[in-house]
Amino acid sequence: MAARKTIQVPVNRVEGDLEVRVDIGDGVVVDAWSVGTTFRGFEGILTGRAAMDSLVVAPRICGMCSVAHLTAAALALDEVAGAEVPDNAIRLRNVALMAEHIQSDVRQSLLMFAADFTNPAHRDLAFFADALHRYEPFRGASVVEAVRATRGVIEIIAVLSGQWPHSAFMVPGGVVSMPGAGELMQCQHLLQQYRQWYERHVLGCSLERWAEVRSASELEAWLEERAEHREGALGFLIGCGQAVGLDRLGAGHGHFLSFGSFPLPASTSVQSPDNGRVLVSAGFSDRAGSVDFDQARVEESVAHSWYRDTGGSRHPSAGETRPYASGDEAGKYSWAKAPRYDGLPAETGPLAERVVAGDPLFLDLIRQSGASALVRQVARLVRPATLMPAMRVWIEEMSGEGRFYQKPASLEDGQGHGLTEAARGALGHWVEVADGRVVHYQIVTPTVWNGSPRDEQGVRGPWEEALVGTPVDDVDNPILLGHVIRSFDPCMVCCVHAWRDGRRLAKVRL
Amino acid sequence: MTRPVLRIVCVGNRLVAADDLGPRVYQELVRRGRPDGVEVVDGGLAGLDLLRFLEGASRVVVVDAVTGDGVPSGPTVASAADVVHGVCPDCGHGGGVAAALAMLPVVVDPPQPEVHLVGFGGAATGADIGALADLSLRIARGEQGQ
Repeated sequence: MAARKTIQVPVNRVEGDLEVRVDIGDGVVVDAWSVGTTFRGFEGILTGRAAMDSLVVAPRICGMCSVAHLTAAALALDEVAGAEVPDNAIRLRNVALMAEHIQSDVRQSLLMFAADFTNPAHRDLAFFADALHRYEPFRGASVVEAVRATRGVIEIIAVLSGQWPHSAFMVPGGVVSMPGAGELMQCQHLLQQYRQWYERHVLGCSLERWAEVRSASELEAWLEERAEHREGALGFLIGCGQAVGLDRLGAGHGHFLSFGSFPLPASTSVQSPDNGRVLVSAGFSDRAGSVDFDQARVEESVAHSWYRDTGGSRHPSAGETRPYASGDEAGKYSWAKAPRYDGLPAETGPLAERVVAGDPLFLDLIRQSGASALVRQVARLVRPATLMPAMRVWIEEMSGEGRFYQKPASLEDGQGHGLTEAARGALGHWVEVADGRVVHYQIVTPTVWNGSPRDEQGVRGPWEEALVGTPVDDVDNPILLGHVIRSFDPCMVCCVHAWRDGRRLAKVRL
Repeated sequence: MTRPVLRIVCVGNRLVAADDLGPRVYQELVRRGRPDGVEVVDGGLAGLDLLRFLEGASRVVVVDAVTGDGVPSGPTVASAADVVHGVCPDCGHGGGVAAALAMLPVVVDPPQPEVHLVGFGGAATGADIGALADLSLRIARGEQGQ
């Protein structure tokens, strides 16, 4: 093997602060380290505050998935209080979270991920001119349409809750109010507008037609069937991804985790795909198959994270967050902790949801070609197709006259956890309340799962593993690294420098 | 053949008496239940934001309060051409329905919708609101001659 080079690459067009360090040998990544460069400290902020403060503070962890954090915080307090949430409140909470998902999936796909297809490294590929026309940042035809369409659908959350992001309409026991008939009709209109745009621009077909695609061969046939399918955003993504080779990159460990989401109201015509009580199933899946999810098996390691050591991995209910900015000392290199499920790293997000749910299309794609950056991104772009039908039903079922809040018994003392799927994957809040105040709060976000550093055993995190084997043809423009990282939809953000062998070479933007 | 998209967009400010006609008609239409074949949209305070509610429709009825000298009492019906005459499309802040309609050919992808405006001169009673809702539906469905 030729001498190894190390490059350090900050990553842009992700949400938050992220650097990636990779060792390159024979032109491919042979090792990788994912560096979360920012300490937020929300868990410490919440400690000592009134329990209900988490409903206001936690959504401000993120401006893209604030409803998800509100959901997890409210679910945790529901458990502390032993609250029974009425059906109307369940529907309202679900619809708001779904609206956040379906705009995020499209924005990330068309504004953040697809922009990489306009990188000059791809200029000799057949799709390049079309990619520029569609995805050039700020100017691309698809970019403009995506901004307009997603702006419209996110209004659903504003109609239902007063604002987005950082809504504050969920409380333990339900929601603070119910929309009237006029507002619900408005939500249906906004959803219908978005669905029509999504079918025309993304799929090139109806949701019903897309739902018939249940295998890799049926996907090929669907692409061949009509020009609208090939030329829609999804078909174009698949074509570009295959041309770049993204269907052979970014596999990772092959472990998938979903916390599950969208509990079904007691009375609803929406059906759980596995006869369970949620629309999106919870579970863990690896090459051996899928198992039911048990939150007691979640642990976080700080062995390679800038926190005081805790004597081994800990469950979040016993976890600590004591920052220890030690530089390179003791092999610590990230502000992200290393979550593990049953001691294993696991990727989370739309692909993990599909695998855990036993979606035949994605199981077949993985069986044929393995997990990859392309199949991961395809899962994200098509997730709205699985959510919009249930959204429509739940808006219809909501009634301004039904109960939307059941006052819980007490929030004075107790422990609880709130688990849901944010747009980027599994999100959990663990809380302990004493005398009405938070005495312990731990949050495990999807990007901590995906961007995890190594654990006590030195096992890489999911996208560290996914980067191994990725070609680096140009250290000043390592575009394939960007494709792989962005397929995970990281929630971190960026500024960039590149080094080689300790010597700064140039400023690089991925 | 594709079904035409028919839409009623009610604009106005429910907190301002002189501008609450649109919201009152919207509430009346909602109270009756979703009308068959016609979308009903709360256009809010609209302005240029109204344009996204005009896109993709075959025929749109905009319901809004009518003010000014010489406005006759009772229901008023106008076309987009009637109201955009002399309107500066670059007027930005403060641009209302007329400004939005003046911008329509520039911003909205063809085919352009057929736009009608329904208003009311003077103070509208509850019965007037009901009649305006009926009128809006007839115009949206193409059942009312212009």
